Amino acid sequence: MPSLGFAAALEEPAFPAWKAGELSELESTGWVAGSVLLTNEPIPDEFGRPKTETFQIEQPKPEEVAQDLAVSPEIAEEFLPAYFAERPKSFLIDPQGLLSSSDYRDRLSFLNYHASDSSIDLFVYVIGGDQEIPSAVREEETIERFFSEGRPAAIVFYYLGAPQRSAVYLSPSITDAVSAAEQRRALESSVMQAFEKTRAPEQIEKFLVQMSIRIYWMERMLAGDSTAKNTLPTVAPRVATNRRPSVDPVKVQRLLELARELAIPAGVLFASVTIALAFSAWLRSRTRYFFPEFEVEARLGGAYAAGVGAVISFASAAVPPASQRDQVPDYLRRA
Amino acid sequence: MLADADARFGSEDVQIRCLTDSAGILRRGDRPRVEAAMEKIARRFPQVFVAIYTGSLGEVANIRQFGFWLLNRSAFEDVPLQKPNEAGILLTIDPESKAAGMVFGYLLDPFLEEADTFECLSRAHAYWLEGRYADGILRVLAHLDGILCKRSRQARKDPEYFERKVLPPAQVGDLLRRIREGHRASPQDETTGVAP
Repeated sequence: MPSLGFAAALEEPAFPAWKAGELSELESTGWVAGSVLLTNEPIPDEFGRPKTETFQIEQPKPEEVAQDLAVSPEIAEEFLPAYFAERPKSFLIDPQGLLSSSDYRDRLSFLNYHASDSSIDLFVYVIGGDQEIPSAVREEETIERFFSEGRPAAIVFYYLGAPQRSAVYLSPSITDAVSAAEQRRALESSVMQAFEKTRAPEQIEKFLVQMSIRIYWMERMLAGDSTAKNTLPTVAPRVATNRRPSVDPVKVQRLLELARELAIPAGVLFASVTIALAFSAWLRSRTRYFFPEFEVEARLGGAYAAGVGAVISFASAAVPPASQRDQVPDYLRRA
Repeated sequence: MLADADARFGSEDVQIRCLTDSAGILRRGDRPRVEAAMEKIARRFPQVFVAIYTGSLGEVANIRQFGFWLLNRSAFEDVPLQKPNEAGILLTIDPESKAAGMVFGYLLDPFLEEADTFECLSRAHAYWLEGRYADGILRVLAHLDGILCKRSRQARKDPEYFERKVLPPAQVGDLLRRIREGHRASPQDETTGVAP
């Protein structure tokens, strides 16, 4: 018996089959559900497909391979005069037209606004992200030549699409006042802000806003505000264009001096008052109070006391002390 | 009359301590706090002492009579001899009839009024309603301390005012006459020529 059961378990159930006329009836509706599976015919496209397909990829041409090897092309020679021949007339230098006209207009507008609000101008040289400044051009020497005179300036070589390659230089008049570390921090925070965006035009916008803010802090350093060095933010505020109101460092200095002058007298006064109060409290605790002794006539037969005093009942909260006044019997009152 | 009280409570003197908790209403830890407050008054007012008695007395009306009797008949064994009972202030609490009374000796008779002692007791009313007897006693003693300070200062400035309160009516006239005579005889009046 067990062998029969085992054989029955091994026997597979038969596949479902169409009944007579059922398939043709469904086909008349246009579509038969599961018709691909419930058929003895081969699945379409499964057979007859070529085993391997060879993709025809166009091979690079030799000149293209040679071009790839030049990873960082230099700025074309035709643009060099526009970049480095003279002190720029505009705050935004983009002779290659890397920025679209609207972006160029917006960025230039921002730089003009910055110049009107700040004592340090911001000049931006826009260079392609994969471009190199020719080795013949020495940036430091160029800046010294063009920016030694006139208003103090911060000069940025901005690589469009690759803000991390950017470099910042200060005009010679303020190089000593702003440390190299601070310059580096300004650049790093501006790059960080730029990387919040993915599109190159938006990156340069964020970069310039942050750099403008950092220049504001440099201005404070130039004004001799030592606290600026300690309170310098590492990241720009979220509303980058919101300029902080300037604090008059002379006033701050005067207030600090006043506070320094008054600190000692105020401390002495506070200590004196505290000591006086403590001494007064100590004296009060040590004070002894006396009463003059008068001859009092004894009453009610009491040798030491007569019954003049008060009684209070606390049996119920409904009977407060106020309602219990004047309850001394007349016979206990002093004659 | 003390004789009436003697008839009710006995005519023999009783020996008790300043803090006698016959009713057992003070909890553990309460006693040192209360004793410290009593000692503070005794220290600040060297002529005065405070005594506290708790016990069941029956009727509320008896508590005043009992206080009067106890202050006259008790010998407080932990009070120095130089402080007689007339310098005492006795607080009596009856937790059964839920009443409390305060009496004082003749020394303080010119300086304390019934209203003063009533004010002291009133401070404890809320605490005693809740059965917090020690807290109530501390409030009573704190207020009493303030009143005694004030009266002591007033007595130093104007002792005659308090003396007049306890003089017999006949002697009050003598005192007034003495004061007037004093004014008349003052050299300042003579120099300014003010008519008496």
